[in-house]
Amino acid sequence: MKGTRSFLLFFLPFVIFAYISFIVFQQACDYAMNVQAKKLLPFNHRTHTTTYGASDCEICHSYDSNGRFNGIPTVAVCKQCHDPNKANTQVFFAGFGDNDKPWESFAQQPDLVYFSHIAVMKNEKKAQCISCHGDKGNSTTTAKIKGKMAMGTCMDCHTALKISNACTVCHD
Amino acid sequence: MAKMTRRWGMVIDLDKCTGCGACNIACAQENNLPIFKDDSDVPKRVTFLDLIEVTNDKDPKAQYPDVKVAYIPKMCQQCSGNDPNNPHPPCVSVCPVVATDVGEDGVVSQIWSRCIGCRYCQVACPYEARVFHWWKPRYEGSFKESLNPDVSIASRGTMVKCTFCSHIWKRERDKAIAQGITDINAVTYTPACASACPTNAILFGDLNDPSSPVYEPKIQKDPRAVRLVHSIDELRTKDPSEYEKRTKIKEYPNPKVYYLTSQQWLRDKISGFKNS
Repeated sequence: MKGTRSFLLFFLPFVIFAYISFIVFQQACDYAMNVQAKKLLPFNHRTHTTTYGASDCEICHSYDSNGRFNGIPTVAVCKQCHDPNKANTQVFFAGFGDNDKPWESFAQQPDLVYFSHIAVMKNEKKAQCISCHGDKGNSTTTAKIKGKMAMGTCMDCHTALKISNACTVCHD
Repeated sequence: MAKMTRRWGMVIDLDKCTGCGACNIACAQENNLPIFKDDSDVPKRVTFLDLIEVTNDKDPKAQYPDVKVAYIPKMCQQCSGNDPNNPHPPCVSVCPVVATDVGEDGVVSQIWSRCIGCRYCQVACPYEARVFHWWKPRYEGSFKESLNPDVSIASRGTMVKCTFCSHIWKRERDKAIAQGITDINAVTYTPACASACPTNAILFGDLNDPSSPVYEPKIQKDPRAVRLVHSIDELRTKDPSEYEKRTKIKEYPNPKVYYLTSQQWLRDKISGFKNS
């Protein structure tokens, strides 16, 4: 009995240390991936993709002419379809300027990663939006769907798409 | 995807170089190099492209009107070892964590996030081109907002070095894909130092491409060409059998940066070759 107790007491510090470091790394990952992103406008992807026929993600999430991903759309992009002179849209967009981004991105890459959407989506490659962002097109809320994007996930996809897995492809 | 045929290299014409230091500043700006209070502390400052001042004033034959000064822009020489098709730079083989590697384009990469800071590569480097981040960079006021978003700021305790501005190449590749060009060999770029040079002394291009200004066989035939501390180059034409013998027993750096100069004293200083 006494032997078991001293045995357990011996391992207790290691267990506590492992638990604390797990929490610390969890917090660090959450911070790096921006889990607490602000979503000031409620947005329903499903109605936009099905009812209004915006089936292509690139209608709102577009590329710049130099290949850069434009990221999350501004209110000005919304106003291309939503008539800002209508009474109900005026209420909806009250407090948002033309260049405001009322939502932040969940899927942020850390500073040390160079990631280009166009390199995996357009360069004879067939990556899908779903594979990294989850089934966002079918979501009805602004909640996060997919978890963290670990480096192993990137590397699995690189292997499948026959892109080099050398460090320098993404890191500088 | 097509196989990469590019092999990036550089030619620096020291006859054209005025020593203005624009390349040094452009490099520091482009690569987010930290600024410290005392950057004259040479072993501890962080700089990829160093401007070395050399004079012949120690030479007893050089009297007053003949004393000359030259500035040598020295960056990572992107060594390739004896066989450029199977590159073996001195820094790559010593890295215990594969933080530094040779890319398909022959450029020696350095990933600070993978680096453990053992500094073996700094010791192995024959050109002192690698620098160690001793301190975390501190930026005054809103200076941090003006940093280059394409380059990450290396953390304290890691090794950094010139990679021929590989982030510019990535950017140009993205631009090409957006225009529908999928052939990787169709993409060219210019590093920050070469585009900043006011006298076009720094030329950058593909060593394998006959149409590029730095086509390697053409540069090797140029009597002005010399490489930094690479005395074996002199034997290549003077004594080919000795050259063969030496390259068999030793791995020479074989850098991809060539210097051009018509001044003999500067050639002797750069190559380290003594006629004795």
